[in-house]
Amino acid sequence: MVKASDSNNKISKDDGIIVLRNVTRNFGQNIVLDKINLAIESGKTTVVIGPSGCGKTVLVKHIIGLLRPTSGQVFFKGKRIDNLNEDQLGKIRVHFGYLFQSGALFDSLTVAGNILFPIEHFFKIPSQKEAEEVVKIKLQMVGMDGFQERYPSQLSGGQRKRVALARAIALSPEVIIYDEPTTGLDPIRSDVINELILKLKRELKITSVAVTHDMTSAYKIADRIVMLHQGKIIADGSADYIRDINNPVVQQFINGQISEEELEILRMRDSYDATKLWTNIPR
Amino acid sequence: MRMPAAAGRIADHLERLGEFGRFVWRAIVVSFFSCFKPATYPLIWSQMYIIGVRSVPVIMITGAFVGMTLAVQAYDQLAGMGLEERLGALINISGVKELGPVLAAVMLAGRVGGALTAELGTMKVTEQIEAVKSMGVDPMYYLVAPRLLACLLLAPVLIIYADLLCSLGGYFVSVHVLGISGRPYWDYSASVVELWDVSVGVIKGFFFGAAMAVISCYKGFNCEDGAHGVGKACTEAFVASLISILALDFMLVVIFKSIYNTLWPLRSMF
Repeated sequence: MVKASDSNNKISKDDGIIVLRNVTRNFGQNIVLDKINLAIESGKTTVVIGPSGCGKTVLVKHIIGLLRPTSGQVFFKGKRIDNLNEDQLGKIRVHFGYLFQSGALFDSLTVAGNILFPIEHFFKIPSQKEAEEVVKIKLQMVGMDGFQERYPSQLSGGQRKRVALARAIALSPEVIIYDEPTTGLDPIRSDVINELILKLKRELKITSVAVTHDMTSAYKIADRIVMLHQGKIIADGSADYIRDINNPVVQQFINGQISEEELEILRMRDSYDATKLWTNIPR
Repeated sequence: MRMPAAAGRIADHLERLGEFGRFVWRAIVVSFFSCFKPATYPLIWSQMYIIGVRSVPVIMITGAFVGMTLAVQAYDQLAGMGLEERLGALINISGVKELGPVLAAVMLAGRVGGALTAELGTMKVTEQIEAVKSMGVDPMYYLVAPRLLACLLLAPVLIIYADLLCSLGGYFVSVHVLGISGRPYWDYSASVVELWDVSVGVIKGFFFGAAMAVISCYKGFNCEDGAHGVGKACTEAFVASLISILALDFMLVVIFKSIYNTLWPLRSMF
């Protein structure tokens, strides 16, 4: 699918804005990603789903160079990035926004300080008034205007995610990576985040990569869904394709069903513990 | 079976040593270039306030108690030989050359080093360091360089404070408690303590400050997940800083002594 051009460090831009080629990642003996091949289309939202601990976050951290593959290559706009040094990667990362699962807001800075952080680092803001204006625009986009002077510890989980999203779009990136954007939020707050993701895609024409195990969110925001299982991509297609796919592992995951074997183990453990508990109680 | 396991452990230690070496080298390079970037100055100023200004009371108290304790301990020995008036010389030479710098650095390692490791460790655990990276900002530039430069520049200044209070603490106990005259206290001190001795103590401060900062930042950057990981990193940072301060002190004493012995014959020329 992905063709190499004359140099090993470049591929055609038509292959996708982000391309992972044979990416393998080991942590000690544990193979988390196993020869992953993935090409992400520009302007589309790709959602990576899979059970907890299957390597979704590890996968997206390779896209932005926060982790490097044990073997394989990562390309951004046709240029290989996994072999760059930290200084060179820093210049590439400016094209990305990353929404961390926990928000990862700087707790020593106010909301305004968090949003200005990347802007101040790369641009000279002429005046305080302009800085305030930039912060206001970014916060308006996520519906958090008026919270400028609050500290992250003074915000709720949903508010923190929205501020983190405002910070992620601070540099107007070409690609946004959402790591579990709705985890830990109630259904209504989750839907607010989903709508925000759709709004950013609509208004800013951003390429999005989202990692989630929230299927409601995945169906709502995805142009394409990729399912990761035991380090490999086992399903790849539109939301409708994934919904109807004839693969028991995928169906079990998207319907949130426990397998018969796991259920059997749980029942055995229940009866064992209960028996032990009753016999140990002094009468 | 035991040999490969031992070899594996040695390889692990060597790998970590190599990692630390790379971290130190990058910290030095980034800090050096940060000196020429005006954008870094506000970060350095704020760290100077946290690390320097807020450490002044604890450092002054340490210095004063060192001086007072030295006076009480040395008085009996000197009085037995009728040399109690030289108490000032003993207090000041010990304080300025050794006890002031070392104990001030140890206090700094506890107060500042622990705080640096805990802060950076928490930032690592809560993905804030990765967030800095993800925005294309080098965490070495944003987090390590200001802390390293603040410690490097302010440890010698704090040592001067410790020396001063050591001298005053010693004076207070010697004159007001032990009954020695004030004049000989200062006269003997001035005759024994040279500019060289004060300089040696202050120069040591640069090394102690840099070592403590770089060890604390490294431990914070590499701490394990969870509250246990942060606590463990803080303990390791303090122990490693303490040992480094003592080892550096020994090495610097040897080096300065040989420099002094080389320069001593040339003194008459100046």
